[in-house]
Amino acid sequence: MNKMFAVMKREYLQAVRKKSFIIMTLLLPFLMAALLAVPGLIMAKGMGKKRIAVLDGTGRLESAFARPNEPPKEEQTDAAGAARNAVMQRNRPPQLPSQMTVEYVNQSQSANFDEAAKPYLKRLTARDDAADKLEGVFLIPKTAVADAETRMSYYSRSATDFMTQERLTRMANRSLHRMRLAANGIDPAVVDTLLQDLPVEAVQLSRSGERKKGGELNFAMAFLFGAMLILPSLVYGQETMRGIVQEKTDRVVEVLVSSVSPMQLLTGKIVGVAAVGLTQIVVWVTMVGLIGAFAGTTLAMADAPINLSQFIRPIIGFYFFVFYILAYLTYVCVYAIGGAICNSEKEAQQFMMPIMMLMMAPWFLMMPIVMNPEAPFAIGFSLAPVFGPITMFVRATVTDPPLWHFLVSIGLSILTILAFFWVTAKIFRIGILSYGKRPTIPELMRWVRVA
Amino acid sequence: MAEILAVRDVRKTFGAVRAVDGVSFTVRSGTITGLLGRNGAGKTTTIRMITGIFMPDSGSIEWLAGSGGNAFRDRIGYLPEERGLYKQMKVVELLLFLAEIKGCRPQDTRKKIDHWLERFELMDKRESKIEELSKGNAQKVQLIGTLLHDPDLIILDEPQSGLDPVNMVLVRNLLHDLRKEGKTILLSTHMMAEAEKMADEIILIHRGQVVLEGTLDQVRGSFGRNTLHIDFEGDGAFLAQLPQVRKASILGTSAELSLAEGADAQEVLQASVPRLRIRRFELMSPSLEEIFIAKVGAETLAAEVVTR
Repeated sequence: MNKMFAVMKREYLQAVRKKSFIIMTLLLPFLMAALLAVPGLIMAKGMGKKRIAVLDGTGRLESAFARPNEPPKEEQTDAAGAARNAVMQRNRPPQLPSQMTVEYVNQSQSANFDEAAKPYLKRLTARDDAADKLEGVFLIPKTAVADAETRMSYYSRSATDFMTQERLTRMANRSLHRMRLAANGIDPAVVDTLLQDLPVEAVQLSRSGERKKGGELNFAMAFLFGAMLILPSLVYGQETMRGIVQEKTDRVVEVLVSSVSPMQLLTGKIVGVAAVGLTQIVVWVTMVGLIGAFAGTTLAMADAPINLSQFIRPIIGFYFFVFYILAYLTYVCVYAIGGAICNSEKEAQQFMMPIMMLMMAPWFLMMPIVMNPEAPFAIGFSLAPVFGPITMFVRATVTDPPLWHFLVSIGLSILTILAFFWVTAKIFRIGILSYGKRPTIPELMRWVRVA
Repeated sequence: MAEILAVRDVRKTFGAVRAVDGVSFTVRSGTITGLLGRNGAGKTTTIRMITGIFMPDSGSIEWLAGSGGNAFRDRIGYLPEERGLYKQMKVVELLLFLAEIKGCRPQDTRKKIDHWLERFELMDKRESKIEELSKGNAQKVQLIGTLLHDPDLIILDEPQSGLDPVNMVLVRNLLHDLRKEGKTILLSTHMMAEAEKMADEIILIHRGQVVLEGTLDQVRGSFGRNTLHIDFEGDGAFLAQLPQVRKASILGTSAELSLAEGADAQEVLQASVPRLRIRRFELMSPSLEEIFIAKVGAETLAAEVVTR
């Protein structure tokens, strides 16, 4: 027991003192947050200024693409006023985003619409530094108001800029609807109210009947926590494997095995590495807690409608802890086998690659799992050994699975880890002293039987 | 003197190779026992069974100095042939760790570490990382790691491989000192000349079997004093042709002659005096190397060299 403790202590201290550990522990949460936030920001901001020519064959849509003067902000003193203001905000027709500049051309007089469009399309393919370079050309044919079969067209260099296209389409259609309705005798003043889309609020109804709003944030949380669950398992699994291979290449292992049993050695190592992981969690939970508390007070002061505490529920912290340990031990055991049977780091990496790809399946399937957490395949994955800890945790963050799912998942995981541990110890016993050729699968089976 | 360890008819097979094929011997307390044999004779496998790294297929290893199951392995200090240390650790940390996995408490070990570092003149390297040490110093650190927990039996597998002459002398002196302190040492080596200088008792292993066992004097005595060493001036080629000489190796101005059964060294001297200026003429026991060859047979050795 003391010997195992000595091995554990060594593993722990050596790992925790490494710069890579300190950097990863302190930076990973920020990195993950950035990884989630940055694409969103870029999407929202768009990729710089866009100059678009709108060729209007009807000649009546200029106002739809004009940038209205910013209405003066009214001071809202009472709650009713604020609500009224919110409704007005929603009722405004779609706006031209600030980074988009529209060059409106009235083409109602031109005889040949296609011919008239040609110079604009040419400007689309102009050199990047040309002064009148266009990023998009939007064509609205003459028949747009009268004929429902008419097609508008949007020309751009990439054809994948669906954000811009969608925005322009909505702006044009809103005006077209208005004109058609007006032509049928409906007062333009009430048209906007009549055409108003009603927003949908996502409400998560828990088993206990509790209602929670803002599920979109859950989505982000699932990814963030999922990554925090899987990344350290991979990194420290690799670290363990590297350590074992290094003990072989540095020939330390013979001294070790003559002093401690392979079982003590393996247990010490894995417990040591798990302790490293726990240290990391404690740091992270503290960090997230501090940030959460900070964000919480900020939001409270800003009187925001979202209550952050409903996403970072204490029970999620508990699940994270449990599934982190389970995922961690599963991965580390598999990596330890890799380390025991391979003779160089490179060889071990190659050997582990396909196995790891398989084990990371829940990560690749994260999107469908998060979107369909109650689907049979998601439930299957969450109960299965190896895949269970990560999938089950992700499901727990976005929905609330029944208790028996948790129990089966955790139970199977523990059994898997025990089985892995047993096999690993056997392979370890022979593998760590065998230099030279990597064993074949039948040889490995024999090791497990014999040792 | 009391015996400390008994190896009884142990066997170990790897696949089709019988690495150790029924080896038995005992190690007496307070001696340096040389485990001799060529590379691949089965020395390291035997040692690994003693240290508990391998389980013997059959036979047993018995610790005769007190009881205690497998715990006796903590009473052994083992320096493997393949040496290695954690490169990233500091000298003092590593030594503490090595003592700890032998069951020593850290607080008892610190003083001993300083004592040994002092003895090996490594005190200034106490806080250095292993990777910063020279090869010789790293080997010294490993040797300290072998001795730190004050073992009763010290097993050294080829302790002098890779050492320069100065460090070889240092190790040799250390072994003699340790024996004076009452330690028991089992020394595995393929360098017969070194074993001759250090060992009290020898066990000769060939192809996984013990071919010769006893004290150095016994072993030599059993082969008689039948080797002539002659240093001379002149052409000594004729020595090989003398009827008394069974086998000769003549190198420049010195000759080592194995005498035929019943031959008289005096006759060789008489034959030499008219033709050579003799500077040294000594009748000796054969060297371990010669004994080894005589025992195993030069033919088998030659055949082995060819098949390798």
